[in-house]
Amino acid sequence: MKKFLAVVKHEYKKIVFKWTFLLGTLLLPLLAVVFSIVPMILFTIKGEPTKIVVVDRDGKVAKRLRENLTAEKLAEKSAQAAKDAQFEISRSQNDQLQQNAKNAASGFVFVDYFPGSKTDEQIREELRALAVDKQIDAYLLVPADDKAQFEFVSRKGGDFIAGSIIDDALNDAIRSERLAKANIDEKTLTAINQKVKLTKKSIDDEGREKDSDMLLAASFVIGMMIYITLAIYGQMILGAVVEEKETRIAEILFSSATPFELMLGKLAGVGLAGLTQLGIWVSSVAALVAFVAVQSDLSPFLAGMPTVTPVMILLFLIYFLLGYFAFASLFALIGSVVTTVQEGGQFSFPVIMTMLVGFYFSFAVIRDPNSSLSFWVSIAPFFAPMTMPVRILAATPPWWEIVLSVGINALAIVFLVWVASRVYRIGMLMYGKRATIPEIWRWFRQA
Amino acid sequence: MSEEKASLVVDSVTKRFDDFTAVDGLNFEVRPGRVFGFLGPNGAGKTTTIRMIVGITAPDSGEIRLFGEKVGPNVQDRIGYLPEERGLYKKMKVVDQLRYFAALKGVTGSDADRRIDRWLERMNLAEWKSKKTTDLSKGMQQKIQFISTVLHEPDLLILDEPFSGLDPVNVEFMIDVLSEFRQNEKTVIFSTHLMETAERLCHDIILINKSKKVVGGSLREVKESYGKNVIALRGSGFGEILNDASLVAKRTEHADEIEVELTDGADGQALLKRLVAAGANVTKFEQVEPSLNDIFIERIGEANLPESERNEISETIK
Repeated sequence: MKKFLAVVKHEYKKIVFKWTFLLGTLLLPLLAVVFSIVPMILFTIKGEPTKIVVVDRDGKVAKRLRENLTAEKLAEKSAQAAKDAQFEISRSQNDQLQQNAKNAASGFVFVDYFPGSKTDEQIREELRALAVDKQIDAYLLVPADDKAQFEFVSRKGGDFIAGSIIDDALNDAIRSERLAKANIDEKTLTAINQKVKLTKKSIDDEGREKDSDMLLAASFVIGMMIYITLAIYGQMILGAVVEEKETRIAEILFSSATPFELMLGKLAGVGLAGLTQLGIWVSSVAALVAFVAVQSDLSPFLAGMPTVTPVMILLFLIYFLLGYFAFASLFALIGSVVTTVQEGGQFSFPVIMTMLVGFYFSFAVIRDPNSSLSFWVSIAPFFAPMTMPVRILAATPPWWEIVLSVGINALAIVFLVWVASRVYRIGMLMYGKRATIPEIWRWFRQA
Repeated sequence: MSEEKASLVVDSVTKRFDDFTAVDGLNFEVRPGRVFGFLGPNGAGKTTTIRMIVGITAPDSGEIRLFGEKVGPNVQDRIGYLPEERGLYKKMKVVDQLRYFAALKGVTGSDADRRIDRWLERMNLAEWKSKKTTDLSKGMQQKIQFISTVLHEPDLLILDEPFSGLDPVNVEFMIDVLSEFRQNEKTVIFSTHLMETAERLCHDIILINKSKKVVGGSLREVKESYGKNVIALRGSGFGEILNDASLVAKRTEHADEIEVELTDGADGQALLKRLVAAGANVTKFEQVEPSLNDIFIERIGEANLPESERNEISETIK
């Protein structure tokens, strides 16, 4: 036991007392924030306005298009979209919306152009020459028949935001024009098109209501966190085992403690490091949510969140550990039979795939937590650690299923650790070449 | 050697890997306060035997007892093992590695730190304490490795090719440390295929080849049993005595001395007495012993050694 603890301490310190751990712990959430915020910022950056010519002999579509591209119209449209999606817009969100509309509107400058009696071909040539001359950036050809091909040509072909704004505004303009022709009042149509207010909620066996969309999001986040942590720390186990084999440290270790103590100590030490990191992330997210909740009223948002009880948290922890030990023992086994980390990477591909399949199964579980598929995958070793937490969140299954699942997975771990430690004790002392499957099988029987 | 005195007893130990028998019915005993040479060519079964002694693997049959106890995890803390294939954690500080290896042998806390400081000081490595392995030279790494072997003050020290990669100064230094261990009544097993070093350091030896014991015992006994009763002579006035066929089987004249091989049962002392009685002027009279190298080559034969091995041996002969 004393040696086991020495191994645990060694492995834990090796990972946690290193600046890379601090960096990784800070960097991952930072990356997540950056990835979600940077695109939003980039989209709001105002570029040079697009100088655009609209060629419309009739003039009606062009007029409506110009109207639709004013700040007021754009803001109105966004507000309507939010209303359709049943979002209550706060004052600050409204300000933001107005600002965005203003930015979008100022992104276009209309340049007058009189086609006269020129043919389309002549017009194209002239406008193209203007574009090459950089006097205009884009032109839009509106055909006489609104079912014919419209043409939008731009020097900034990659500006998909401007493109989509034009697209929307043009469609609206054409629609308004058609409505006018059909003598239908636009307001009437909007009223007719008003979407129904449908709230999606799920109900668990005890009759508690949960918001389906929030559930999906929460399940995704949980599944993702488990998957990432397992993958990262599994690879760490692999690396640590290969290092001890490669440098022949294993020989010294095995002359000091039993392979079982060494392997289990390694799994436990690295696992604790993983829990430390996960703990930092979870508690900082919790602190952030609490902080934001105090700053602004989030109660409507939080009300939709699935309720998480302390028992659930305990179960999540148990399943995390079950998953960790199942996959980590496989990584340790792989590390002991290969000769380099690169080789280990190839070998661990099936293991990573198994993890991914488990992660995908969790979506099937969200869709129908009470199906027989959900039952089996939340009991099966390797899959249960990913799917059961999601199932518990979605619709907590009867307690006997949880007990069965934990029991089966715990037994599976005992078996896996036993198999892995047998292969480990022989594999770690076999140098030179990667083992074949029959060799691994022989080691297993020999040990 | 009686079992009471022996600290390590290897008792008819056999180890097989599938069809291959790595160690076959091996018997030997090691006594405290002496350096035991575990000799043999590569692939003879040395490493397999050592791994069984340190409890990494178990014998298929037979038994190994250390201080009267069957070897296994229970006696591992009393053994210090320096394997032939050595390694340290690449990106870890010297002091952290030593702390870990000490902890694995049950030495922790300030006790471990004190010993680490003392040994680093002794090995002239004190200023490297906080450096990483990758910053050290090969010789330094070797010394760190040695420290990790002795930190827990083992009663049995097993060194597999301990001098490979060390410069002569450090070899002498290590030999000093070894004799200190021996003087403290510790048991030292020293495995090598370099006969010259073995001859210099070992009190007892065992020579194994192809998984079996070839010869074993104290260095003196082994040499005597292989001595062909050859005497090197220098002087004058030997007369006809050296031509006595009942005493001398063969006579070889060298530039400045004569080598005579005595007949079976003949006594060197008798020859000396006769020479002195005859009034010969004897300036050198030496019983010539075979070197370990000679014995190694005679018993194992150059023929069955791989090319690299042969070169090494002929190197030592020169």
